[in-house]
Amino acid sequence: MELLTPSVGTLFWTGLTFVLLLFILKKMAWGPVLQMLDEREKKIQESLEKADAAQKETEAAVAKNLEIMEQAKKEAQSLLSQSKKTAEATREELTKRAEAEATKIVDKAKKDIAQEREKAVEELRNQAAELSVAIASKLIGKTLSKDDHKDIIESSLKQMVEAN
Amino acid sequence: MIATLNKIMPLVGGGGEGEGHQEQLGADFIMHHIQDHVLWEFHPFGYDLSITKHVLMMWIVSGLMLFLFSLAFRRPKLVPKGRLANFFEFIILYLEEETMKPYLGHDSRKYAPYLLTAFFFVLFCNLGGLVPGSATATGNIGVTTGLALLTFSMVQIAGIKNNGFVGYFKGLIPPGLPAFILPIMVPVEIVGLFTKHVALAIRLFANMVAGHVVIFALLMIIFSFKSWGVAGITLAGILFVSLLEILIGLIQAYIFTILSAVFIGMAAHQDH
Repeated sequence: MELLTPSVGTLFWTGLTFVLLLFILKKMAWGPVLQMLDEREKKIQESLEKADAAQKETEAAVAKNLEIMEQAKKEAQSLLSQSKKTAEATREELTKRAEAEATKIVDKAKKDIAQEREKAVEELRNQAAELSVAIASKLIGKTLSKDDHKDIIESSLKQMVEAN
Repeated sequence: MIATLNKIMPLVGGGGEGEGHQEQLGADFIMHHIQDHVLWEFHPFGYDLSITKHVLMMWIVSGLMLFLFSLAFRRPKLVPKGRLANFFEFIILYLEEETMKPYLGHDSRKYAPYLLTAFFFVLFCNLGGLVPGSATATGNIGVTTGLALLTFSMVQIAGIKNNGFVGYFKGLIPPGLPAFILPIMVPVEIVGLFTKHVALAIRLFANMVAGHVVIFALLMIIFSFKSWGVAGITLAGILFVSLLEILIGLIQAYIFTILSAVFIGMAAHQDH
C-alpha cells in the first residue's frame, strides 16, 4: 500500500528541512532564549538573596539604633543623678561653711564684748576707786596712806558687790 | 470545505450506482485526502525527489516557525515582555522541566535544540493539517519515518559520545547476564534498537491519519444518506473530532519529544 510505504523523496525532504530548521532555530531562537532563561533564573535568585540580605541588614541597624538610644538614655540618667548629687554636696558644704563662719563671727563678737565689758568694768572700778578716794579725802580732810585707801576701797567695794 | 463538497458531489451524487460502488467511492475519497500528491516532478540521478503537498506543507510550517520565533526571540529580554515570547518561553520551560531534565540531566542543554525543534515542528505540522485545504505532513509515513530516523541518529550519537563506540554497543546488553542467554539477548537488543524508533514513526503517523479518516468518514455519511438532515449531526461530529484533533496534535508532539528524550537519555546513561 502506498500509504504505508515511506517514499525516498519525503524522507529526503523531511531530513533536509528538519536539519536546516534545527540549525537556523538553534542559532536564532533556542540558543539565545535558553541562555536568557538561565540568566533570568540567576538574576531572580540573586535579587531575592540581595533583598534578603538587605532586610537582615536593616533589621540589624534598627536593633543597633535601639541599643544606642537605650544606652544614651541610661547615660543621660546617670549624668543627671550624678550632677544632682554634686549639687547637693556643694550646697551642703556651702551651708556648713556659712554656718561655721557665722559661728566664728558670733564667737568673736562675744569675746570682744566680754573683753570690752571687762575693760569697762576695770575702768569703772579704777574710776570708782579714785572717785571714792577723792570723796573720802575731801570728807576727812586728810590724805590716807595708800594701804589705808586700798583696804577701805576693797571693803567698801565688797560691801557694794554683796549689796548688789 | 465547500470546494471539496462541489468536487465530490458529482462523484457520489450519481443515482444509479450500486451500494458497493458507492462504498468504493467513499474509500477513494478518504484515501484521496490522506495520501500525498505530487506537485512538481523532480528526479535527479534517478531518485524520486518530487515536491509533494506534504513537502510543501513542511516548508510552509517551517517558514511559519521561523517567522514566529524570530518575532518572539529576536532580542531575548530578561524581563518578560510580549505575549508571543511569554507563550513560547512557557512552553520551552515546561518541555525542559518535564521532558528533558528528568531523562537527560546535565546533558539536557546539549539536546534541547533538537528536542525543541522536534516538538514545535511536529506540533505545527499536526495543527497545520487542521487548516481547511492544507495537508497533514505528519500524516505521511515518510515524514514520520524521517523524524524517527533523526531521533535514531541522535540516540546513536549520544550513546557513542557518552560511552565510546565499543562501550555503547557493549552496554546495550544488560551486564551480568549468564552466557547462555546471550544468543537470545543479542538479537533481541538489536531488534529493540530499531523497533523503538519504528514505533515512534508509526505512532505519530497513525494518530494523525486516524483523526483525518474519522473526519472524512463522517463527511461521507452525508453523501451516503443523501440527506441534508444528517449533515447537522455529522457536522457536529466533525467539529468534535476536529477539536479532539487539536488535543491529539498537542499530545502526539509531546509524546514524540518525551520519547526522543527518553531514548537519548537511555543511550547516554546506560547504567540506569
